[in-house]
Parts: sequence; structure tokens; C-alpha cells
Amino acid sequence: MKENARLLAVQAVRQELATLGIDPFGIQIDEILSPTEGLIQGRQTILAGTNNYLGLTFDPDCIAAARDALQSSGTGTTGSRMANGSYAAHRELELDLARFYGKRDAIVFSTGYQANLGMISALAGPGDTVLIDADSHASIYDGCNLSGANTIRFRHNDPEDLAKRMRRLGDEAANAVVVIEGVYSMLGDRAPLREFVDVKNQFGATLLVDEAHSMGVLGEKGQGLCEETGTLDGIDYVVGTFSKSLGNTGGFCVGDAEEMDVLRYASRPYVFTASLPPATIAATRMALRKLEAAQDLRQRIRENSARLHAGLSALGFRLGAPANAVVAVLAGEKIEALRFWHHLLKHGVYVNVMVPPATPGNESLLRCSVSAAHTPEQIDAICAAFASWPGHNAGHQ
Amino acid sequence: MTHQNIVAQVIELITQLPDMRSPAHITEKTGLTGDLGLDSLKVMDLVVLVEDHFDISVPVNELADIKTVGEFATLIGKIVDKHA
Repeated sequence: MKENARLLAVQAVRQELATLGIDPFGIQIDEILSPTEGLIQGRQTILAGTNNYLGLTFDPDCIAAARDALQSSGTGTTGSRMANGSYAAHRELELDLARFYGKRDAIVFSTGYQANLGMISALAGPGDTVLIDADSHASIYDGCNLSGANTIRFRHNDPEDLAKRMRRLGDEAANAVVVIEGVYSMLGDRAPLREFVDVKNQFGATLLVDEAHSMGVLGEKGQGLCEETGTLDGIDYVVGTFSKSLGNTGGFCVGDAEEMDVLRYASRPYVFTASLPPATIAATRMALRKLEAAQDLRQRIRENSARLHAGLSALGFRLGAPANAVVAVLAGEKIEALRFWHHLLKHGVYVNVMVPPATPGNESLLRCSVSAAHTPEQIDAICAAFASWPGHNAGHQ
Repeated sequence: MTHQNIVAQVIELITQLPDMRSPAHITEKTGLTGDLGLDSLKVMDLVVLVEDHFDISVPVNELADIKTVGEFATLIGKIVDKHA
């Protein structure tokens, strides 16, 4: 086989990590002890690098629902919904989601990644224009790529820059699709949703908002930033995931548009992949009911986020955004950030390390995700692990 | 705006990027990643500079085939003409 330049580049990065003796991208959790603890390299470790925002992965009712579905409906569907048939529960979950958001209809996808891939590539095609935030998740970039549409980036969280680019499109602006996220996964910063809706309305475009990191966390009912900012009516499509607050796997889109009836049939990532297994659907339906009523858990996550944010700020760390379920420590240069991450792991705390080009601003991040299931003592232990990093007084204030 | 005119403006913009040397060694045939060593982030920084300077939007999907300063200038010229 001839040399593959792309694989060689990946191999070079893997080799660099092997030389350092640090491999955050191959970490194995040998045993999951609870929503917030696992056994890693023989050590009981606080998990602050998952997206288990509400801590529902061990919820007894969700587990019972999954077990019942497993026994009554089997392990898997063995095919796609279009080619091999939907189970009644797939459609029931879609109706649950539509009701939860007060939207006309919903489409369930097999992952959150595929939800963005499937929606963007069904809404836009060659000759169309999609405008995306420059800091968009890879699933949004990949969705644009799959669509074949002209893809224009605008400056991160900058509605005025979006408006400038919409003006340049002239008459085409009304047919354009704008894609943003409610809360951005790297820094945990929020989009100015109201202003984006205003720009979208000004030009008559279509707006899709990915609420992956805000569903369950923000808003009285947990609908996300769209609820908190009162903008749900101005958003054409809300995309979300089951793999964060809902503690499972899968993705969805809700919307009022008439096109909801046909979009799924135009979506290759919907058509050509296996549908979610019965246990996943059943547990997700139960988790959605829990999420809607989980005002107490949302209060807990706010308290935990504020505690971690205040603790790390007091230690002098630079943080990516105001307190939110994602608390990102700006960690400078890549090798130093990897060593810092390894230090935290050795001190019983697992977080995510993110390095350029996946990060904004060409700076590495140590990204903590806070769960409602974290105890105040665990939050304090996370802060203590950060405080024990020898370099923190020198380089990160 | 002639092609050579656009090339000259792109070279001027490249020198505004951090750690970039004087424009003397940059020509139409200079490779953005190969010769200048721009990584993907720096290329996107350059795209933003170009967009502001020429008051255009450069689609991300059009960048895949762009290797040299001259090819970038050709793409810019095409977009400028479309806006005109």
C-alpha cells in the first residue's frame, strides 16, 4: 500500500504522545463506579470529563425501562428505519420530543453527530449556501461537506458579522441556512441567540440551533438556551443529543416546518444507518420525562458549576467563559497542557484535554464538565487537584 | 482589479500574519502551507484578513484545492467579480 500522508500525520502525533508517555486520547475507564466516579489505571477517579450533566446514567427508572424493553423487544433492530421498519417506540420518542419542545414534529437519529450531518445535508445541497459559526463542532462542518453547499464561516458568536455576510449574498440570503450552537462545547460560552434570531428574521433565512450542551441544563423545563432566552419560536430547527443530559446515545431534530415530513427521507445519515435499539429508546423516553421535571438537578448543576468556576478562579486560572456546565481552563502550550492533564489524572481527576486546531484561539484547554451528581466535596477535590499542579502559580494566572 | 494586483494585496496580507517574514520572498507560485508553513489555523486567519480586505466571503469548500498564492488570488478574483 502506498504511503498515506494523512495517516502519517496522525501517526506522528501518536508517536509524539508515546514519547511523552501520555495518551489522553486512548484513556480507558476500567470500571464505571457511578455517574461521577470510575476506576482508571487502578485508581478511583472523579469523572469531570464526561457530559453526564444530570447524572442520569445510573437512574433506576431509566435502567428499569431499558431492561424491560430489552426483554420485550430484543437487543437490536438490525436495520434502518426506512429500509427495515420503525418500531412503535421510535415514533413515540419523536412525539415525546415534539411535545417537550412544543414543536410540530421530531426526527430521531442514531447519534447526535448524525443529527447535524443528516439535517444540514437534507436542508442544503450544491448551489445552496450554509453560514456557520467559525467555532462550530466537527459534525456541523461535516454536515456542510456532505451537503455540497457553499459553506461560509462567520466570526464566532458575532451576529453583526453574520449580517454582513448575509448582505453580501443579496437575494440568495433568504434561501440560506444558518447554523449555530447554543452553548459551545470547548469553552462553554453561550451564543447571543436573540440577536442571531433577529438577523435570521431580517433576511428571511432558516436557522438551525444545536442545543447539545444546553438541553437539560438551561431553562426552567430544560429545553436549553432557546428556552432561557425566549427564542424557541424564532428557531426553525433545534438539534440535540441523547448522549449528554439524557445519559444515552442518539440524536434528534425538532421543528415546526412542513418539511419535517420529508426531511428524513432526504437524509442519508438517517436512511443508511441502523436505528437505535429498543433499550436505548425506552431509557431515553424515561430520561426525557426525568429531565423535564429535574428543576432540582438543574439547581444542583448551577451550584456545582459556580463552585468549580469560583474555586478555579480563586486559584488564578484563566477560564474560557462565565460559570456553566462546561468549565474550561485555558492551558497554553500543548505539551505543557498534556503534562498538566496527566498530573490531574495521577491525582484522581479525569478531565478532557483539548489541543489546537480543535480549540479556539490556538490555545490548549483542560475542559471540565460538571454534573448535578457531583458532590460539593468532589468539586473541591477537583479544585485541589488543579491547585497541586506545580506550574499553576507561574504560568496560568 | 487585475490578477497581479490581487496577488500583491494577498502578499501584503500574508505579511500581516504573526511570525511572517518580509514579502520579498513571496511570489505567485509560493505555496501557502508547503512554502510558508501556514497550518490550518493560520490559513483560516489569512482567509478572514482577505474577506475583510476585499469585502467578500470565501466559502470553506472552495479552499480545498487552493495550494499557492496565485491560486488563492484567482479564487478571490472570481468571488469579487461575482459580487460586482
